[in-house]
Amino acid sequence: MVTKLIKATLMLAMMTSMVSAQDLFLSGYARTYLGALTTGESEYSIIQNTFDLNFEHSRGDVYFKVNPFLYHYSEDELELGFRQAYMDLYFDSFDIRIGKQQIVWGKGDGVFITDIVSPKDMREFLLPEFSEIRVGVTSLKFNYYSGNSTFELVWIPVFTPTQMPDENSIWSIKPSYPLPYSIDYSNSDVKNKLSNSEIFAKYSLLSSEIDFEIMAGYSWDDDPTFHSDKILNPANGNVDSVILKPEHHRLTTLGGSFSTTIGPVVLRGEGAYYNGKHFQSTNPKYLDGTEEKDYIHYLLGIDYSIGDLKLSTQFIQQAILDYNDYLLKDEFENTMTFLASMDFLRETLNVELFSYIGLENGDALVRPKVTYDFIDGFQIQLGANLFFGDEGQFGRFDKNDMIYTKIKYSF
Amino acid sequence: MKFAKILLMTMLITVIGFESQAQEKLTGQQIIENVYYREIGNDATSDLTMTLINSRGSERVREIKQFSKDYGKEEKSIMFFLSPADVRNTSFMNWSYDEAGRDDDQWIYLPALKKVKRISSDSKSDYFMGSDFTYDDLGDRHPSEDTHKLLREEKLNGEDCYVVESIPKEKGYMYSRTVTWVVKDKWIGMKKEFYDEDGDHLKTLSVEKYDKIDGYWVILHSEMHNVQKDHRTIMNLKNVQINIGIDDGMFTERMMKRGL
Repeated sequence: MVTKLIKATLMLAMMTSMVSAQDLFLSGYARTYLGALTTGESEYSIIQNTFDLNFEHSRGDVYFKVNPFLYHYSEDELELGFRQAYMDLYFDSFDIRIGKQQIVWGKGDGVFITDIVSPKDMREFLLPEFSEIRVGVTSLKFNYYSGNSTFELVWIPVFTPTQMPDENSIWSIKPSYPLPYSIDYSNSDVKNKLSNSEIFAKYSLLSSEIDFEIMAGYSWDDDPTFHSDKILNPANGNVDSVILKPEHHRLTTLGGSFSTTIGPVVLRGEGAYYNGKHFQSTNPKYLDGTEEKDYIHYLLGIDYSIGDLKLSTQFIQQAILDYNDYLLKDEFENTMTFLASMDFLRETLNVELFSYIGLENGDALVRPKVTYDFIDGFQIQLGANLFFGDEGQFGRFDKNDMIYTKIKYSF
Repeated sequence: MKFAKILLMTMLITVIGFESQAQEKLTGQQIIENVYYREIGNDATSDLTMTLINSRGSERVREIKQFSKDYGKEEKSIMFFLSPADVRNTSFMNWSYDEAGRDDDQWIYLPALKKVKRISSDSKSDYFMGSDFTYDDLGDRHPSEDTHKLLREEKLNGEDCYVVESIPKEKGYMYSRTVTWVVKDKWIGMKKEFYDEDGDHLKTLSVEKYDKIDGYWVILHSEMHNVQKDHRTIMNLKNVQINIGIDDGMFTERMMKRGL
C-alpha cells in the first residue's frame, strides 16, 4: 500500500512538474474530510484526504482538460482516477467534446430527473459534493448553437451503472424482498458492444422570458432491477427463499425543464416520463418477480430572498403509472427540499441549511453547515448530516447521523 | 457570492463630453441624468481588479474579465471570474433593459454544479461579492428613484464640480441621502458621500484616476470607504477597450459554460 501511495504521489508530482514545462494551466484543491457518527459508538465514518487537480491547455480552437483525483483513506486505502479527461474542438456554430466527461442537465437542485446522462456515485449516498457524485462517462458530445438555442447530442458507447456502496458500508441498501434471498450478479453487466450504446438529445433555449430544455434518452437504467429465481423447499413444495439477480434494462426517457422569473421569485420545474422501467413485484403471473411499468418523475420549485436570507424549496413526486398492489415500491414517492442560506462578514462566512423531507414516511435528511473562508481559497467547514425517521429513503439511515469538518485549500 | 450589473460597473461612471449644457443653469435632476445617461460606446471589455481591505488592513483580491454590449434598448454583459481560485471559471451574465420597471435578467454558471442558473435581480441593496459597493452604487440606480437638489458649485481636486444632494423617494431605503460631486462637462461623479437611515455618514466613494480611452472618459481607479466599519474596496480597471466589435455570441449560455 505504501508503494502504491508513493507511486500515486510521484505520478501527481510528475504531472504537476509538466505544468511549467508545457505551459499547462494547473488548478485544483487539497481537502481533509473528517466525519464521525454521533449514534452508536461514535465511530469515525470517514477520514479522507483528497487531491483534485485540473490540467488545462488550449491551442487555437482546441482545448483539453484532465482532472485526476486521489482519495486517501485512513487505512492507507487509495483511490485514484480521472473525474474528467476530454478534448474540445470549437467551431463557429458547433463544438465537439470527446472523452470522459460529466454532463449535467435539468433545472432541479439535488434531484436527478432529466439529469440522467452521467451516472451517480452513491457510495456515500447523497452526501458528497455534486461534482463528486456525478461519474464522468466516456462519450462524444456534439453541441450546435443558433442564437440563444442549443442542440446537444450525446453518444455514450459504454454503459456505466450507478456506483453502489460495498455490502459492509453504512450506506449499503439491502434489496427489499419479503423472503430470504441471496444475490447472483451474473446478469448484472451490460456487454460492451455498439448495440448497447446510450444516446441522449437535448434542445435548450435561454431567453429573457424563460429558459427551458427538452430532452430524450435511449439509455440503460443506471440502477439494476432485482429479478428473482424462486427456490422451492423440497419438503413442502413452498417457496421459502429466492435468488435475486440484478439486471439493467433499457430505458426510454422524454423530459424537460424550465426556469423563469416572476418578480423577485425564480420558478423552476422539471419532469420526465420513463418507459421500460422494471419494478419488483409479488404478482405470481410474473415468474421472475418483476413487472415493467412506466413512471413519471417531476418537480416544481421556487427560489426567493427575504433580505439577505436566500431560500429555496422544491416539491418532487415520483409516480408509477398503471399501478397495482403487487408492486413492492409505493405508487407515489413525494419529497420536498428546503434550502436556507445566508452570508455574513463580507461573504466570508456562510451559514446554510439544506434538507430533504420524505412526505410518505415522514423521514428527512437535514444538513446544516457553516463555512468560513479564512483567506481566499482556504476554507473550513463544519456541518452535520442528520437523518430522521425509521424507513423511507432517508429514514433507513437513521443510525448514520454524522458531524463532520472539511478543510479545503484551493489553488 | 453576490453579483452586480457589470457593464455599468465596468465604467463605473464613464462619460462622453455632452454638448455643454452648463451654459444654462442646470437642475440637480438634469445633472444626475447627464451622469446616468452617459454614452459608453457600443461595446467594451476590461480587466477589473477588486481589492477588499478590512479594518486590520488585510486584503482580499478578486479578478474579473468583463465584456458588455449595447443593443439600443437592451444591454448585455458577461463577467468571468479569474480569482480567487475557488471561484475561478464562475461566470455571470446580465441583460438589462431601458423599459421602465423591467427587471434585469441574470444567470450564473457555477463550475462545481456545471449548470447555468437563472437568478433574481431584485436585490439592488445587496453588496457585490462582499465589497463595499451595492448594486445601486455600481450605477444601476435610476435618477427617477431620488429627488435631486443642486446644493452648490465648488472645486474638487482642481475640477469644477456640481454638488448634488439626492434623497430617495422610497421610505426605508438603505441610504437616507447621498451627496455627489459631479465634474462639469465630463459628467463624472468624482466623489459621493452616502448617509445611512439614521442620517449618519456611512461611506465615501472617491475617484482617484480617470482617463479618456477611445474618446470616452473612463474611471480607472476608485475607492469606496465604509467609514463606520473602516472597510475599503478599491476598484482598478485595466486593458480597457471600447468599440472593438464584440460578437453577439459572447453573451450566451455557450460562453458562460466555456469560459475564457
